[in-house]
Amino acid sequence: MTNQTIDDRTIEACRRGDSGAFRLLFEAHKDRVYSIALCFFDGDEAAAKDITQDVFLKLMGTISQFENRSQFSTWLHRIVTNACLDRKRTLRRFLSFGDSGECQFRDGRASSEEKYIRREIEASVRKVIASMTPKLKMTILLKYFEDLSYDEIAAAMRCSKGTVASRLNRAHRILARKLSHLRNAFVVGE
Amino acid sequence: MFRTHIIRDLSAYHHGELPHAVKVRVEDHLRSCSKCRNAYEEIKLGSRLASVLQTTVAPESAWNRLVEAPLARLRPRWIPAVVAAAAAALILAIFVRNHVPAGPSWEVSGLAGTSHLRPGDVLQTSTSSEAQIKIANIGQLTVGPDTRIRLLVTKSDEHRIALDRGRVEAQTWAPPRLFVVDTPSASAIDLGCKYSLQVQEDGSSLLHVTLGLVALERDGYETIVPAGAFCRTRKGLGPETPFFEDSSTEFQAALQRVDSLGDSPERTQQLEVVLREAHIRDALSLWHLLPHVDAHSRELIYDRLAVLLPPPKEVTREGIAALDPKMLDAWRKIVSQLWQ
Repeated sequence: MTNQTIDDRTIEACRRGDSGAFRLLFEAHKDRVYSIALCFFDGDEAAAKDITQDVFLKLMGTISQFENRSQFSTWLHRIVTNACLDRKRTLRRFLSFGDSGECQFRDGRASSEEKYIRREIEASVRKVIASMTPKLKMTILLKYFEDLSYDEIAAAMRCSKGTVASRLNRAHRILARKLSHLRNAFVVGE
Repeated sequence: MFRTHIIRDLSAYHHGELPHAVKVRVEDHLRSCSKCRNAYEEIKLGSRLASVLQTTVAPESAWNRLVEAPLARLRPRWIPAVVAAAAAALILAIFVRNHVPAGPSWEVSGLAGTSHLRPGDVLQTSTSSEAQIKIANIGQLTVGPDTRIRLLVTKSDEHRIALDRGRVEAQTWAPPRLFVVDTPSASAIDLGCKYSLQVQEDGSSLLHVTLGLVALERDGYETIVPAGAFCRTRKGLGPETPFFEDSSTEFQAALQRVDSLGDSPERTQQLEVVLREAHIRDALSLWHLLPHVDAHSRELIYDRLAVLLPPPKEVTREGIAALDPKMLDAWRKIVSQLWQ
């Protein structure tokens, strides 16, 4: 969750209680926090919004502990991870991915619509990710929404770097196997 | 050979996470092992698939609960410092009271001779100067060269300026709809955002949103302009159709012609160019065009929009051509994901 507009001075201003700085922090991170939660909870917008709010409320209460952006980012990733995993544990039933439906490619007329194809692929990817275990899911979301290194993911998830590598391996292979029919379409949709 | 299979390292190899020595070993092994090569192809495909994930814009309402949270949560450990700061603030307040005229004002910097802006004041920059203004405690305004603004209102639930000509850049961190810029052709209502707004001598304007959303309002009608989009306004006519900055040149030119022409064969021709050039993000423009064209044109727009963002089952071509409110509302929930 790095952002060029957020620097150590912004964190410092937040620590001093500057509500404007906090809004900047919120704007810089909210979409990625929300996106991770939205994908983690299989498209449940209400859950994603709750998680986003919970994360930033916790942040308001503890921002004074952090002296720079690096410490803050590690903590933020950890709290997003914990918020999602904790909430998942409390859910009694599996939430479906709404009405996103099966990925169905249209005829040749649509093949020129690269963005449309990409959107269709993305819907299929989200659906497969929704079927993964919470830890696999969070690992792949941190990697691809946040572009974190394996060390950073390991710090956020409190596991070893090897575990991160192993989870990503499994997640990649699940995606490839369940969506192997997209191999050719994916090339078109890139 | 079996002992040296490197499948478990393949994702780390793909992401450049392996130490050099291990990386070399993996590469050597891949050259000679078809099983691991096949597995690597799977990893690469999985990674490429995962790479299509895109962030979704969080709803503005996510901020609301945070605004309501007590600000004290941000500074509970600083009570001694707060007491000292309060004493300093009191001294400062006495100084300000004796040296600055009463009433709410905005701080101005960068402009010689002007330190505050009050309701009714006019601020005019020269061709070589610009000013920075604090919009009360909710944001920042940069006033570009050769620009004239007037502060109309500043109070807790409304901050409003008039931009008569020139260019401003605004960034706010307040709840939506607190900050408004009136121009000769429309009002720009902040919905939590960062944007620039340029007003020409003839009263027309160009809005460019770089973060969040801005609503352009005229006569009770609103046009939503999201981050990454432009929207022109014309005096007497209000907002034209918003468009994303990455739409094609042909699309933008044809869209401008559609906006400026009355119903005519030429307008239909230009609309056909718009539809032909439209990609998925251009659904923003197609959607905003619907109420401004005739029923036949709406059918054409329906056809294209339905390919880009398929409507719910209950939405029909005829219903959209007739601007059926329920159908518009149902489809809007899908289309508006482009800017929510």
